[in-house]
Amino acid sequence: MIYLDNNATTRVAPEVVAAMQPFLTEHYGNPSSAHALGRKMKSAVEQARDQVAALLGAAEASEIVFTSCGSESDNWAIGGFLEQNPNRRHIVTTRVEHEAVRNLCEHLAEIGCEVTWLEVDRNGELDLDDLRRALRRDTGIVSVMLANNETGVLFPIEQIGKIVRENSDAVFHVDGVQAVGKIPINLKDLEIDLFALSGHKLHAPQGIGALYVRKGMTLPPFIIGGAQESGRRGGTPAVPNIVGLGAACELAAKPEGHEHVRRLRDKLEDEILSQVPNTSLNGTSDRSRRLPNTANISFQYVEGENIMMLLDEAGICVSTGSACHSGTHQASPTLRAMNVPYTAAQGAIRFSLGRYNTEEEIDRTLEVLPGIINRLVEMSPYEKELRALETAKANYE
Amino acid sequence: MCLVEAYLIVSRFDKQRAGNLAFNSSQMESLSPVIKENFLRPQNVGDLGAKGFTGRAGSIVCGAALRVSLSIDQSQRIVDARFKAAGCSCLVGAASYLTQEIKGELSGEVAALLQPPANTIREALGEIPGERTHCVTLICQALLSAITAYSDSVRDEWHGEEALICSCFCVSERAIESAIRTGGLRTIAEVTKACNAGGGCRSCHSLIEDILSDCASQYPDTSGY
Repeated sequence: MIYLDNNATTRVAPEVVAAMQPFLTEHYGNPSSAHALGRKMKSAVEQARDQVAALLGAAEASEIVFTSCGSESDNWAIGGFLEQNPNRRHIVTTRVEHEAVRNLCEHLAEIGCEVTWLEVDRNGELDLDDLRRALRRDTGIVSVMLANNETGVLFPIEQIGKIVRENSDAVFHVDGVQAVGKIPINLKDLEIDLFALSGHKLHAPQGIGALYVRKGMTLPPFIIGGAQESGRRGGTPAVPNIVGLGAACELAAKPEGHEHVRRLRDKLEDEILSQVPNTSLNGTSDRSRRLPNTANISFQYVEGENIMMLLDEAGICVSTGSACHSGTHQASPTLRAMNVPYTAAQGAIRFSLGRYNTEEEIDRTLEVLPGIINRLVEMSPYEKELRALETAKANYE
Repeated sequence: MCLVEAYLIVSRFDKQRAGNLAFNSSQMESLSPVIKENFLRPQNVGDLGAKGFTGRAGSIVCGAALRVSLSIDQSQRIVDARFKAAGCSCLVGAASYLTQEIKGELSGEVAALLQPPANTIREALGEIPGERTHCVTLICQALLSAITAYSDSVRDEWHGEEALICSCFCVSERAIESAIRTGGLRTIAEVTKACNAGGGCRSCHSLIEDILSDCASQYPDTSGY
């Protein structure tokens, strides 16, 4: 099995499993208990909080609150702010956010909030002047992702934070789910108030997330209950998962592995774009403005689902840029927002690599893929368009 | 057909409506055995060129594009069928299976089966996930339009003097009567299967009923003997 779908989820690291193991066996106390077993759990949670804070470059560990997932973190950040500030109902966000933000904002727009959606260009990038124009004195919250889950395009959150501060009183929330563990982050140097992350994207198990809440900012609890997490989130903490997230953050903070992922991604992307005639890259070609692990490539005039299924047959896991839901088979909102032509968006494949991929796996993928594409090209009714692409490529070379 | 243009129109409206569309993996398991087998090893991919009758279908909502071509002989029988598709696995599988199954069949009979709701065809393809049933509609539309292209050409070339009953496939009263007498036919479906009449628009069905009952009265039921 060759797993090139690390933006969907990642394999739990052996180091993470080892760290969690005692908390699934002999350490079974409740961290709220005052006895020895409870204190053991409590100190494990606090150690994990330090590890997460260190990876994010947070000023203080107390700025980290554990949640159940990235979506909870996003919902808490935006929903919590609005609950606290019912009169500041203007939200600024982008067209390409993950559903956790996008669908939440759609919902908020339906129930009386005003949402300004920032557009992206063909490269998937924002025009910061759009942001300046969108900000108003009554803007409550600005929510922008750090890295796009589909294309890997990075938004300039450092600049965005400054623009938000200079032009409004809004709080700035960043969905960092797809970026944490893949690129360095230093929150104490950024004008960011809220920052969401999810454990399973960086080799921790599913079911654990966190929200960074800048010191001095308070949010009403998303889950009302006991005094856990300093009263910021009720519910007994999922200690094994929290310990796992801490271990995963410590692993990600080490330099080893990151360059390896980048090199394999570059190789895969370069080879596909140069070897397969009907391809185009989705997202900026400037790799410094994209995640080092993601390549989103359109195989024009063929169907992405078929590529995905034939790769699956060959033991290679990837994702498609479109999905058939309730009778409509549409390109992802991100690709549509980028105005990727229909016939290219339908054939979009996301390859997302991780630290456990090997050079052999990339070679194997490059060996299998051209045959699959060729087979589907032969099946495609867009012969004229495909011929035109080949001619254009031949002329270019 | 320009799906790109259609998309641009749709997308302007759609941007307002964030669909619940994520990068996801579809489930090979949800395909019926017939469709899965045909998707993995598709038959009849290609084009018959000038000797074929072409039919197309496309969907603005799902972006699929499909083209079929049929070769139909003097006896109105489909002798070859090919397809090209840029669509989901379900469309490819259904197109592969149906192009194979209709070979050797009378064009009118196939046309009758393809018309909505095309239940016989849907049953033959096996269970299809709810959101994919439109794939079957698309392949039926494309095949029907190819058969229509054929029937149009037959009509254009028709020079006979006899009265036509089925104008879709140019079948005369005499031919229908002869088929009924020779085969001892009793239903419209049997007539279509025997001589192609009635497989198209169905406007001649009442006329065929009349011929059937005329023949039946001249040749009373002998099945009891």
